Amino acid sequence: MVREGSPCWTQKCRGLLLGLLVILILGAVVVLSAVVLARRREPPAPLPQWKGRGSTAHLREILLGRCFSYAGLLHPELRKDCLKIWEAFEKAFISKNPCNITEEDYQPLMALAAHPIPCNKTLLWSKTNELAHQYTKVRGDLLTLEDTLLGYMADGLMWCGSPSSAEMNYQSCPHWRECANNPNSIYWKMASRIFAEAACGVVHVMLNGSISQPFGNSSIFGSVEVHHLNPKRVHLMKVWVIHNLSAQSSDSCSKSSIKELKSILEGRNIAFSCKGDHRAVQLIQCVGNPEEPACRAC
Amino acid sequence: MVILSTAMGSSEERWSLTKEVWMLLWALVLRGAAAGSAGAAEYHWSGEGTNRHLESLFLGRCYEYIFLVNPDLRDKNCSAIWEAFKSVLRKSPCSVLPSDYDLFMNLSRHSIPRDKSLFWENNYYLVSAYADNTQRLMTLSDTLYGGVADLLMWCREENGTDFDYQSCPTEKDCENNAVDSFWKRLSSQFAYDSSGVIHVMLNGSEPTGAYPVKGFFADYEIPNFQKDKVTRFEIWVMHDIGGPYLESCGEGSMKILENRLKNMEYKYECINNYRSVKFLQCLDHTAHSDCVFSSAAESTQQRFLSLFGRKWDPILLVILFVSLASGIHL
Repeated sequence: MVREGSPCWTQKCRGLLLGLLVILILGAVVVLSAVVLARRREPPAPLPQWKGRGSTAHLREILLGRCFSYAGLLHPELRKDCLKIWEAFEKAFISKNPCNITEEDYQPLMALAAHPIPCNKTLLWSKTNELAHQYTKVRGDLLTLEDTLLGYMADGLMWCGSPSSAEMNYQSCPHWRECANNPNSIYWKMASRIFAEAACGVVHVMLNGSISQPFGNSSIFGSVEVHHLNPKRVHLMKVWVIHNLSAQSSDSCSKSSIKELKSILEGRNIAFSCKGDHRAVQLIQCVGNPEEPACRAC
Repeated sequence: MVILSTAMGSSEERWSLTKEVWMLLWALVLRGAAAGSAGAAEYHWSGEGTNRHLESLFLGRCYEYIFLVNPDLRDKNCSAIWEAFKSVLRKSPCSVLPSDYDLFMNLSRHSIPRDKSLFWENNYYLVSAYADNTQRLMTLSDTLYGGVADLLMWCREENGTDFDYQSCPTEKDCENNAVDSFWKRLSSQFAYDSSGVIHVMLNGSEPTGAYPVKGFFADYEIPNFQKDKVTRFEIWVMHDIGGPYLESCGEGSMKILENRLKNMEYKYECINNYRSVKFLQCLDHTAHSDCVFSSAAESTQQRFLSLFGRKWDPILLVILFVSLASGIHL
């Protein structure tokens, strides 16, 4: 304790004390800043390594561009807000464990982006990706999921996040074999379910007659869509079994897996009809193979 | 103007409220009139205005192209390409020249696969369906530089520096408009960079002629092909299903095209109703007689046999089928 009048209470002493105090404070500030900076410069926790391809580069710009193309240019009557749609899309998986995604995560997005399609226009498909979409692109009388906003926006893209980051994981994403509840698989499962539930009237499906099991529960069609058609709205399913042009098409509709599809539908009170090699689809096949015998005389 | 008495407040309060309400209404009327007249002044070009969200559409297509369609181009800089495209905003809406897009072109240019180019006139939808997004052939809209602006519209305001979202000039209003100059610049480049077999799809049902003597193909593409890189021209003259069959190879404007290319010493081949494309046209007309298919040919033969009610010698059958098939062959 310093008493008034003691030798230390001179100006010189006060100056020294003040100087020491300033140095101490400065020193504390320097040490604190160094600690904070050092912490910041620490590399972020490494992202988990998955077996699947990483999130698509510039996913936001690509998805937004597709949304504005579909909902702005092609279908302005849908009155969709693409920026809100992007926000809802991102929120579904960012900073979350990519093996633990649920349909609840996508609920806000689905509510914003889903839209009804007219009756008798639904085209489902299984193992006929290229042909089904070439068909709808040219004919326009039927629509696949990829011809609706939800499918159009996400077709061919990949995305996932991780709990330790606010960024997408561009290095890798879980393959469905690593975990089934990954952002991509859940998205397509949910969008397919909604698409099937909304179908009404006559529903068409394009199946591949050139593989051993044209219908099975390993596909989204077999495991999700067929079981979510609403029998109160859908009264008939027309099946087209497509073959490679050089193959015989004789009894494609009597294949055992097609019969299985028939019994599932009839059990759900939906009528069934089947056609091997729909002419319009064969025409698309002939575009690329005009010299095939099946393409003669046209 | 005094409104009828209400339950609330003194008569003085009611009067000041009334005054405010009327002033508000009057302000709204004035604003409406101003907007109306301003709007009327802005809607003065004959074309649609700039697309809303042009930048997002442009950038989305650019990134899609360089990362998904052709990842060899992943080092292209989409924001720089957009800035170069936007530089057209420095010019007034009727003073944009093809050369104003030179920087845009330099940044987005890329090589075109040999034998894959497809040029066309008067059949955009058939051509893009056939090209199938570079799967079969490549049109200008299937390149990076054409794809970013395909089916879009843009121009600058007359008295301003922003895009005009109300209307844009077309060739009816003035020649040097942003959109036409863009496609002129790109058409020249696409032709210049094409090599091998040059495919051209023309419309033989078009009343003004299958080969427009004044058009993008005639004025901006033919003059820019490189003679030492082109092996030959292959022209397909397509007729609409059911016609009219106005021009075919060697007729009318097609003769003009043939002479022009041959005078330039190019090898020239012309095919009427190229089968591959015909199948695509038939997709929308599966029942039409122009689209007779092999299964239908068989049923015709069967009907012919049943008419005569007896078994036929196999050799006679073959002769019959051959003559039938050659008769229906297009």
